[in-house]
Amino acid sequence: MTLADPRAARTFRFVRHDYVDGEASLVYAFDDGPDLVERIAFPGAPQPSPERREAFARALALLHFIAGVSYYKAGVPGEIVVDGEAPSPSTAALLDALYLHGLGEFAWQNRLDLRERIRFPSSPANGDARAAALALPRRTLVPIGGGKDSLVSVELLRRAGEPATAAWIGNSPLIEACATRTGFATLNLGRQVSPVLFDYNRAGAWNGHVPVTAINSAILVVAAILYGYDAIAFSNERSASSATLEVDGRAVNHQWSKGWDFERTFGALVESRIAADLRYYSLLRPLSELAVAERFARTSAYDDVFSSCNRNFRILGPKPADRWCGQCPKCHFVFLALAPFMPKPRLLGIFGRNLLDDMAQAGGFDALIEYRDHKPFECVGEARESRAAFAFLARRAEWREDALVARFAAEIRPQLPASDLVIEPLLAASGDHRIPGVLVPFVEQG
Amino acid sequence: MNLPTETLPTDAPWIVVKFGGTSVSTRPRWDNIATIVGAHRAKGKRVLIVVSALSGITDQLKAIGEAHADASRCRELYLGIVERHHALYRDMQLPSRNALDGWLARLDQLLGDARRPAGELSWQAELLAHGELLSSTLGALYLNARGLTTHWLDSREFFLARPQPNQGAWGRWLSASVEVAPDPAVAAALAARGDVFIAQGFIARHDDGATAILGRGGSDTSASYFGALLKAEAVEIWTDVPGMFSANPRQVPDARLLSRLDYAEAQEIATTGAKVLHPRCIHPVREVRVPLVIKDTNRPELPGTAIGPNVTHAATSIKAISSRKGITLVSMESIGMWQQVGFLADVFDAFKRHGLSVDLIGSAETNVTVSLDPSDNLLTSDVLSRLCADLEPFCRVKVIAPCAAVTVVGRGMRSMLHKLSAVLAEFGALDVHLISQSSNNLNLTFVVDEALADALIPRLHALLIRAEAMRVDDAAVFGPSWRELAHGAGDDARATWWRTRRDDLLAIAAEATPRYVYDLGHVRAQARGLAAIGAVDRWHYALKANPHADILRALHAEGFAFECVSWDEVEHVRRTLPDLPCERILFTPNFAPREEYRAALAAGVRVTLDALHPIAEWGADFAGHDILLRVDLGAGRGHHDKVKTGGAQSKFGVSLDEIEAFRAHARTHGARITGLHAHLGSGILDAQHWRSVYVQMASLAEQFNRVEVLDLGGGLGVPSRPEDAPLDLDALAAALAEVKQAYPQFRLWMEPGRYLVAEAGVLLARVTQLKRKGDVRYVGLDAGMNSLIRPALYEAWHDIVNLTRLDDAPGEVVQVVGPICESGDTLGNHRRLAACVEGDVVLVAEAGAYGAVMASRYNLREPAAEIVLP
Repeated sequence: MTLADPRAARTFRFVRHDYVDGEASLVYAFDDGPDLVERIAFPGAPQPSPERREAFARALALLHFIAGVSYYKAGVPGEIVVDGEAPSPSTAALLDALYLHGLGEFAWQNRLDLRERIRFPSSPANGDARAAALALPRRTLVPIGGGKDSLVSVELLRRAGEPATAAWIGNSPLIEACATRTGFATLNLGRQVSPVLFDYNRAGAWNGHVPVTAINSAILVVAAILYGYDAIAFSNERSASSATLEVDGRAVNHQWSKGWDFERTFGALVESRIAADLRYYSLLRPLSELAVAERFARTSAYDDVFSSCNRNFRILGPKPADRWCGQCPKCHFVFLALAPFMPKPRLLGIFGRNLLDDMAQAGGFDALIEYRDHKPFECVGEARESRAAFAFLARRAEWREDALVARFAAEIRPQLPASDLVIEPLLAASGDHRIPGVLVPFVEQG
Repeated sequence: MNLPTETLPTDAPWIVVKFGGTSVSTRPRWDNIATIVGAHRAKGKRVLIVVSALSGITDQLKAIGEAHADASRCRELYLGIVERHHALYRDMQLPSRNALDGWLARLDQLLGDARRPAGELSWQAELLAHGELLSSTLGALYLNARGLTTHWLDSREFFLARPQPNQGAWGRWLSASVEVAPDPAVAAALAARGDVFIAQGFIARHDDGATAILGRGGSDTSASYFGALLKAEAVEIWTDVPGMFSANPRQVPDARLLSRLDYAEAQEIATTGAKVLHPRCIHPVREVRVPLVIKDTNRPELPGTAIGPNVTHAATSIKAISSRKGITLVSMESIGMWQQVGFLADVFDAFKRHGLSVDLIGSAETNVTVSLDPSDNLLTSDVLSRLCADLEPFCRVKVIAPCAAVTVVGRGMRSMLHKLSAVLAEFGALDVHLISQSSNNLNLTFVVDEALADALIPRLHALLIRAEAMRVDDAAVFGPSWRELAHGAGDDARATWWRTRRDDLLAIAAEATPRYVYDLGHVRAQARGLAAIGAVDRWHYALKANPHADILRALHAEGFAFECVSWDEVEHVRRTLPDLPCERILFTPNFAPREEYRAALAAGVRVTLDALHPIAEWGADFAGHDILLRVDLGAGRGHHDKVKTGGAQSKFGVSLDEIEAFRAHARTHGARITGLHAHLGSGILDAQHWRSVYVQMASLAEQFNRVEVLDLGGGLGVPSRPEDAPLDLDALAAALAEVKQAYPQFRLWMEPGRYLVAEAGVLLARVTQLKRKGDVRYVGLDAGMNSLIRPALYEAWHDIVNLTRLDDAPGEVVQVVGPICESGDTLGNHRRLAACVEGDVVLVAEAGAYGAVMASRYNLREPAAEIVLP
């Protein structure tokens, strides 16, 4: 199919959405171009019961608006048009923020300024009436990403005795293997991006990072209404809120939709607009990445299935190299963050190699500690966490001769303040969160 | 069953047979044991059966040992054990279970024992012994009920545990050792009682009569002890595998069954990786020269592996290659004075204090590096950290992990080093952390990164065979391959087209030789096999393999596009196929001059760049054009050094760290990178290779904006040697489909060459002269390296047959040589053809790729002409 370059489009349109037999269709278009149809599959889901129908309709509309970000970004037209019912003012505010900040990295990479471009229409008539409680059953959806964070949440919920289901979106053998290993019930939702988007890519579309956590959050809200869950527990930690870099005084955060601002606004919107008894929160919010790593190291049950690497995660293989590319910021960070908390042979067994003894990885680790480079655009911890981990290893006999640890000790450590070199303060829970009270002690004690 | 009822003479020879857990867990398996034992008895042997516990029971008993403080958990596990034995008892339809219930009652008492709450070691040892006491008791009941009079023995009466130096309390109770010497009095006393006995593996006694456990591999070891005690004719270890192999069959399907090994070799193979036999069990029989035989319970007719004294008449040979993973190296660099006294003593003292046992050792003036075998201790405790802290005051410690120890085993290793050049070359490309040549001259071990081992072992195994360091032709030592045992003997005479068309070929040869002959039907069949792989959107024929016009036309008709590596190849395709759109020609040259790229772009041919130079220096030429970028993913792979096309030593492709620079140049000049291309080698028979290349390419391509095509290159292997398995197209299709599903946005291209044409071509030659020099016999042909250079250039192996006498029995081993004045003009080494006489037509198979196209007029001899069979 030969398509017009979407970058020349004037409008991005939210055309329609519907839900039939367990499948939601979300339809978008540039100007009068072909429909871009995203399909979300909810296996075995019933039609929503009458008392939940209103909430379901609102949840589906919210999902339609949020999932549009993947398509909108292909052209970034100056006008956003909603063919159906426009969002409420509070919803529109959230969408404006999401499209602006969630596409921050995308904009930076493509040298675009989105500030004046994103204006969702809103309908004050579609008032912000408080949503009712739906008597949702007490059980939690835990999205599983295949990495360490959600597995730490799983173990927290298990210890707290909370009934939970391990959920994931899309086809990923690796995530499936992790979800199965949890021993929890599982729920796999399907997501199919419109193939027309590939054609638009060929026609010149902008490309780049989209706030996928926001999309997944909206999908899980629909799932919670359909299947009956009263909580969605994400596994985003404290450092997800910090900016990756500052451009002209504006913060650009690779993981904005994993940050506290999005969680707070989205969680509040779900409770006020969709279901008063549906709680959306992140169970690891008060924890640093290092604290999460320390908790993860306590169980070895997932050593041979999990992976936080963003390169290879779609394909499952039996060898460590099939799960960990060993080259990307995620591999670098997870390796570094786990090292202080596990026996060295165990960690090297997980990765299949020793990244800290490979001078070729120096640049990657330098980026983590913000030495000669800015923080990478990936979900990695704060620089002081990486520095503290390095400093910890530089004091350990079994690590200090490894090439990059030795280099840190000789070259970098002398330039750092002593306060940057201690790990213990980083392990304590702190900061804002929306975690239900009964779970807080489990999170704080680990 | 009719069994002889008379008792054997007292001096009848003894056979000890040992059966493991799965062999004693069901009634049909006990019937099998009865058959095996009955057969020995019928041949006049006195038989002693050694058994393990029912499968899983030892683990259950260990679980009781671990849960010692939790009485109710112990009780729960106990009830499971009782039920398991009662179930087998019921299935056996035995008349009385008094003997069984006696042991179960004793087990019950142990749960109430005063030693239980603290989990004392003496209590654990007695507990664990019950698995074998129960299984042997059930066995005795059943064999007697079947009419095979069998006497139950308590192994503890025969074996006294001997404390070992440095042995802790745990080892004394749960990993005990016994010293056994032949005792004719014991043998005679037993002979006076009967002909068939059953006893327990795994157990022994202390001086005071308390039970001790032999530890891992204990049942095999018990069988060896009995074999030594009775000076048996043989000890047979019955298992679920056919025996020991020249490599782990799961890694190397071509691994050969080892029919005969000497004790030391077997011990070495067992120690360095093979799981079938515990190395501990060899020592007792070795001392008294009792042979040990590994037999397959499911296929008793197979000879198994016989382990005995030196195999004197066998050729010196590598016997096996094995690997152990999870190895941790500790490298210690002295920080004291040169030749510091006591450095090694200090180092080893630290290891001893932490209970860590060292395996391999490499040492230098100021460094000693040792290896630690994998253990739970290293993975779950901070023992390594504590060790390093203790070592720190007197040396700099470096921990290197995870490693694999790759070991080549064979008696007289140092006399075989000259045959290992290809093996050493393979290691040359890798980072080898430690090399150790065992002082007993039985092994050579290389410690490398663990990630390398899986791919390395099958390659090394093949190289050892090719270099004739592993003499698989020695039938006294090497049995069938695992693949043959699993799938039945391979169809050695593969149904090749040239067998069915032999008469046509002889008629062609009668006119003139040498001749290349191509069968287009085979080319089409190969093409259709590939075209059926749905995941691939476009197939290219890499015509450098064989540019014959008829082959191009045949593949064009099959829907193939074409890949060219020179402008002359492009022009050749265009002349041959005038209706082919230029867009279906992919031009992938290497170090080509600028004019060739310009000509290709002007013609509308698709161009692949494989270096920074063209885009950096001639960037304007590519403005506004779509180009493919050939990347070098780093790890080359293939059947010979010269056909590996990835890695820094290879001249092909743009390395990963130059990709950003390449993209910047492309952006500057307005060239669009619409495809990524990789080609990592040739002759690859493992479908998983392309899966991993595909995944790497796709994840790389995601970082580009406009990449639409991933071209995985070619390299699809064609089996040449009889032991090679053909590429599994279904596995390839499945591997590609799996990745395609994850990355549907990219179109997938591939570009095989050799795969399509190699087998379709043969070289026909005529025998010119025969010669004998010393022991070596030569068969001379009228075709040599001027026609087919692959054997000389790549050490390629081509099947060679005497086509005139195709059905005659193989004759003596010969060197098949050509007429070129060059010592490398050999087409085949050490071949057995039907005896040749002058004028016979000899066929060299798989000559359709890189044959005629690489031919030359060296010595001014015209190379073979080409003939095409429709």
